[in-house]
Amino acid sequence: MTALFAVGAVTLGTLGLGAWGVRFVRTTSDLLVASRSVGPWWNACAISGEYLSAASFLGIAGLEMQVGVSALWQALGFTAGYLALLLFVAAPLRRFGSYTIPDFAEARLRSPSLRMLAAGIVLLIGGFYLVPQLKGAGLALNVVSGAPYWVGVVIVGAIVTVNVAIGGMRGITYVQAFQFWVKVFAISVPACVLLIHFGGLPGRAALFGQELPRAGSRGLVVKGPQRVLFPEAGSFVANGRTVHVVAGEHVTLPAGEVKLPPGDIVPYADGIVPQTGKQWSRPVGGQGDSSPLFVYSLLVATFLGTMGLPHILVRFYTNPDGHAARHTTVRVLTLLGLFYAFPSVYGALGRTLVPQLYVTGQTDDVVLRLPAVAWPGPVGTALGALIAAGAFAAFLSTSSGLLVSMAGTISHDVWPRLRQGRPTNVALRRTRFRVAAVAAVLLPVALALGAEGVDISILVGWAFAIAASTFCPMFLLGIWWTGLTARGAAAGMVCGMTVATAAIFTGLALGEPSTGAGAALLAQPAVVSVPIAFLVMIAGSVTDPHRIDASAEMLALHAPEGLGLRVAEDELAVPQTA
Amino acid sequence: MSPAERERRRVRLRSPRQELAEATEHGEVYLRRLRRAQLQLSLLALVAFGAVFGILPIVLDLLPALRHHDIVGVPVAVWIVIVPLSPLFIAIGWLYARRADALDAAFRELVEK
Repeated sequence: MTALFAVGAVTLGTLGLGAWGVRFVRTTSDLLVASRSVGPWWNACAISGEYLSAASFLGIAGLEMQVGVSALWQALGFTAGYLALLLFVAAPLRRFGSYTIPDFAEARLRSPSLRMLAAGIVLLIGGFYLVPQLKGAGLALNVVSGAPYWVGVVIVGAIVTVNVAIGGMRGITYVQAFQFWVKVFAISVPACVLLIHFGGLPGRAALFGQELPRAGSRGLVVKGPQRVLFPEAGSFVANGRTVHVVAGEHVTLPAGEVKLPPGDIVPYADGIVPQTGKQWSRPVGGQGDSSPLFVYSLLVATFLGTMGLPHILVRFYTNPDGHAARHTTVRVLTLLGLFYAFPSVYGALGRTLVPQLYVTGQTDDVVLRLPAVAWPGPVGTALGALIAAGAFAAFLSTSSGLLVSMAGTISHDVWPRLRQGRPTNVALRRTRFRVAAVAAVLLPVALALGAEGVDISILVGWAFAIAASTFCPMFLLGIWWTGLTARGAAAGMVCGMTVATAAIFTGLALGEPSTGAGAALLAQPAVVSVPIAFLVMIAGSVTDPHRIDASAEMLALHAPEGLGLRVAEDELAVPQTA
Repeated sequence: MSPAERERRRVRLRSPRQELAEATEHGEVYLRRLRRAQLQLSLLALVAFGAVFGILPIVLDLLPALRHHDIVGVPVAVWIVIVPLSPLFIAIGWLYARRADALDAAFRELVEK
């Protein structure tokens, strides 16, 4: 009940600020005006606030509990992505003055049709990224209120749509910055309190030794039916009858309450590989999600994919110049490093304290369920409420940012070109934006309803893989190489997108995770699809007969501000939606 | 005054700023030099980052001793993944941003002199 109240407060607060803020943030020129007074720390907090999503808040700890310490590479990749952004993209892109990725594609390569392609990819990445946010919302609402999974997905989908349609969180730097600190507070305080409460990590043998997770001193109660594997001989009690199971046997736990006796081995839901503490704590090695190939592919996806996320780029525009964009990004590295110190605590505590999630397979719940189980009573309830509120802040800020980008892309890039002529009427433009917001959210909601069994981290990994295989090569080559042409960029993005998406859907169609190099590449194709995209983009540009003289664009990208050399920013930047 | 001589004079009298603003060949050379220097700096930072972060998964895979030695009850390999990498990112980022600003400043000086 407390948790539901906390979630409600965060949601109402966000909606209220959205409605209130809309009066101040009508157009992007307001954003520009605001930017002059916003320092790099505020900007860095706002970027981090928009960036930290369900994957960071719930997914990393869930994946860590499931596959082990190797899941933490994802957190490192999420941070390292900003280093790639800093080294190659932040300052030039800020100087170029494009608000959105389609703007950049059109302005740099002088091709309106490339804008359409980029718009399509923005929608694809945004959709892939929205699904895990909605999944997280479904799980979180289920944990705090007991409502079915689909209720949470639909409710949060609706809240985010309303929030975006009435004004969104676009440009409200201070709100996003505040959200960042809400999330840091909500993840760090319970982690520290629980670590102090237990005097360190309990159950070390199951974390780093030869043990498998076992039921605690009071036994475990889980809900059937569930098909599970007993990695060692064990037993369970159902309908008053004790059933003994031999090691390595698959059984289906019957419907209703199933009890696991104290100290007994915990069975694993099908699809999760049982690991001893030694195996679990290996950062690299072995099969599946901790194989070196998968780790490297994931690092490539996150390192190079961050710069291609559609909702992040516009945040950089609130920096007054390229110099500030660089220093903001260094601060983002600091803030993300701070946040990502904490999720690992939940995965480790969850492995010993809430092993029933191995039985149900819902390890994505671990952050939400841990406090109440670890410390029954008012303290656990309060910590749980704090975490639930932080998780909702994560869903709302990231999904709103994504939906604003997607709706802006539909109403600004796709729609006006379907009908000839640009809309000039402000009211009409706003209506279009609202219709586009509703249209953009429908498919991700439908996909999220079907994605209950797919891990949040895996879903987010795909969004990064597609971004790294499409927009990353376009940015890197477009900013640093004069030879890039529209044809080459289009060919590279189409190839990268096709390879990445095909691998992901093939992996989905094959179902059950298998082992080996092939499976690792289907689960995270970036290490293959990114080089393909780069090569095709270069080959397509070199063989293109229509070379363009990019010296004006290079001047805009690389010349420092304040020398009177640069084309006025307003001429290059195409205004975004109202 | 021969046409060639006049041309030479014209070139000498123009400042880098004019060359850049009028998008002449000389201006383009100035800008290309800046772009190259910035790209070299970025690649240098990338190599520094890759040398540590990029080989870490292999090192952790090939050195099992790191998994068998504990510090405060937690294996060294786990500490390596959790603790020292963020400070490394920040340090590389901070040093890079300083150098990149210095390159911009040098260019600004060239144009404004």
